[in-house]
Amino acid sequence: MSEMTKKMQEIAREILVKGEAEVVIGWEKGTFWYLSPPAFIDKPEDVQRLVWDDFCHNNLSKYLVDLKNHEGKAAVFVKGCDSRAFNRLLQDKQIAREKVVLIGIPCPGLLDQDKAKELGKNSDLPKAQKCLDCQYPNPLVYDYYLGDKEALNEVAATKEAADYSDVAAIEAMSPDERYDFWTKQYDRCIRCYACRNVCPACSCRECVFDQTRVGWIGKANNSSENQFFALTRAMHVAGRCIECGECERACPMDIPIMLLNKKLVKDINELFGEYDAGIDIEGKLPLGHFDKNDPEEFM
Amino acid sequence: MMKTILKAKLPEMLEQLAKEYKVLVPAKLEGVSRFAAYRENLELALDENVTMPPKDIFFPQTEEMYKFAAKDQSLEIEEIPQDEKLQVIFGVRSCDMKSIDCLDQVFLTKGFSDPFYQDKRDRSILIALSCVKPMESCFCTSMGIDPQKGQGADIQAYDLGEKLAFEGITERGQEVLNKVSGMFAEEDAAIPPMGEFNLTANVEGVPEKLKNMFDHSIWDDISRKCLNCSACAYVCPTCHCFDIASEVRGEDGVKIRCWDCCMFDEYTVMAGGHQPRPGKKERVRNRFLHKLRYFPERYNMLLCTGCGRCVVKCPVNLDITNVIKKIKEA
Ligand code: SF4
Ligand code: SF4
Ligand code: SF4
Ligand code: SF4
Ligand code: SF4
Ligand code: SF4
Repeated sequence: MSEMTKKMQEIAREILVKGEAEVVIGWEKGTFWYLSPPAFIDKPEDVQRLVWDDFCHNNLSKYLVDLKNHEGKAAVFVKGCDSRAFNRLLQDKQIAREKVVLIGIPCPGLLDQDKAKELGKNSDLPKAQKCLDCQYPNPLVYDYYLGDKEALNEVAATKEAADYSDVAAIEAMSPDERYDFWTKQYDRCIRCYACRNVCPACSCRECVFDQTRVGWIGKANNSSENQFFALTRAMHVAGRCIECGECERACPMDIPIMLLNKKLVKDINELFGEYDAGIDIEGKLPLGHFDKNDPEEFM
Repeated sequence: MMKTILKAKLPEMLEQLAKEYKVLVPAKLEGVSRFAAYRENLELALDENVTMPPKDIFFPQTEEMYKFAAKDQSLEIEEIPQDEKLQVIFGVRSCDMKSIDCLDQVFLTKGFSDPFYQDKRDRSILIALSCVKPMESCFCTSMGIDPQKGQGADIQAYDLGEKLAFEGITERGQEVLNKVSGMFAEEDAAIPPMGEFNLTANVEGVPEKLKNMFDHSIWDDISRKCLNCSACAYVCPTCHCFDIASEVRGEDGVKIRCWDCCMFDEYTVMAGGHQPRPGKKERVRNRFLHKLRYFPERYNMLLCTGCGRCVVKCPVNLDITNVIKKIKEA
């Protein structure tokens, strides 16, 4: 058992025994060695299910939306990206800070699940792309903190600036090439909405894609409806997406959703100044407030 | 004696068949493996089962049922012509063969016959393909399926490593083999034994036990991590729910039938707005009760073939074998 797993279990037990929260949300081992899905722990004797390893991908802050109308308190483990998601939900008034106990985990970066499946257990596995791109591996908000902050601060300080070369490659395409590229990607979308449902930035009480009778989007699966879905989803999370990569990981059809999200992050940076969602909860939202100096070249 | 052919010669055989039939084969297309119409240089996916099951060949995600036009107080209905060609579907694994049996039950039995499904089904000649090594997510044997014999196949193909062997089962299947008989060698071939399974499930007694478990607390526990998406249902070879909608532009419209899933809000919401399955618990419970109790009650078979697709694709690893285990232990 890793040192961190041990610490996780200890703190979870303590929280449950003291009654600081009635449920602890963490990760446990799944069906295969490279899966560590979410776990809900209610009883102190169940804490041994909890693990911390290279595959704790799920962004647990998403589950706090379920607890919105719940009376009691929940404790949740947060990596850097989960903590950013928490901040965003807080900013959108989706959760009350006092109803949540946050246990921060400094994240060394997780491994690529698809590669793990493909290459097998004893191979040299690459980090997940979202982790290579991540600028905030340390939790930004927490009540408890597990692990060595110093060491991670160093990692964070030496991190390279976000790499947008993948987005630049798409931008460099001609409009026709780009249209072909995205048509091919979203033609295989099965509209299962896993990308939306796993996303901590998708917290609307009623999603536009569920209002089929209003007619925003048709039920048919075809290029046009699928692309309408793709673009609308991306625009709806613009400025709120904290780049946790969960949408892309969840997608059963391996659609490169993060390319769209990253494009929007890049555009926001260029149009409204450097902005990272879920970092500073007092700051103004680039797309959530009006400024007379905002660019409006299209008008 | 069996009819064998080198795998390297398979494209030639498919090419030949494609002159007469529409030929669908497991292929890797844009990074996802699925059944696709055979064409030259198509990347065949024969090493493991395809990500997307053959379900959409018979029951497409979106099916246009008929067109209509409302003009001057009158309504015109226009039928949509169906393809009439026979289709040969090559490379269906045993689990997916069983799933077609499940779909047949729904769309063709109990006094109902769905013309859209029936038409495609009647035009299909199925070539099942035996497995040699299960994927890590496969558990078909636990669901009573023989991975080396496809139920309801017109032709059974066997994977012999370098070669494939073919065995005609129905008359229609024999006819297909006759069209390419010159390409086969006749030889005694031993079918390699099936590899070990990594995943298993023990469903014995589960449908009966579930009769009294509607109100069990197990559903609260199982459903908590579910996201209520439809990844599991849309990759499932047996899930068959659909919704009928109209797409109307001006005077013209078309009735479409699209896949639907019991995880979605709209699936159960009533006309007056009442939602009998409001949350995760009710929806997840319905999924597993349908697969493991209601379907067996109605059709005397499970609505799960052990193909393992949902185990792999669920973003929170809500694993049906684990659910079965929890039901057993409850
Ligand atoms: S998860 Fe993938 S397949 Fe499902 S709706 Fe999103 S993009 Fe489409
Ligand atoms: S859009 Fe994707 S990357 Fe962004 S917050 Fe949602 S799940 Fe995470
Ligand atoms: S579940 Fe069984 S039949 Fe299906 S692919 Fe796996 S081993 Fe083959
Ligand atoms: S429920 Fe899962 S394992 Fe069973 S048939 Fe469907 S996808 Fe396959
Ligand atoms: S599990 Fe749900 S989606 Fe699948 S067939 Fe049953 S009711 Fe339909
Ligand atoms: S079981 Fe998994 S795939 Fe199915 S609805 Fe729940 S989260 Fe989605």
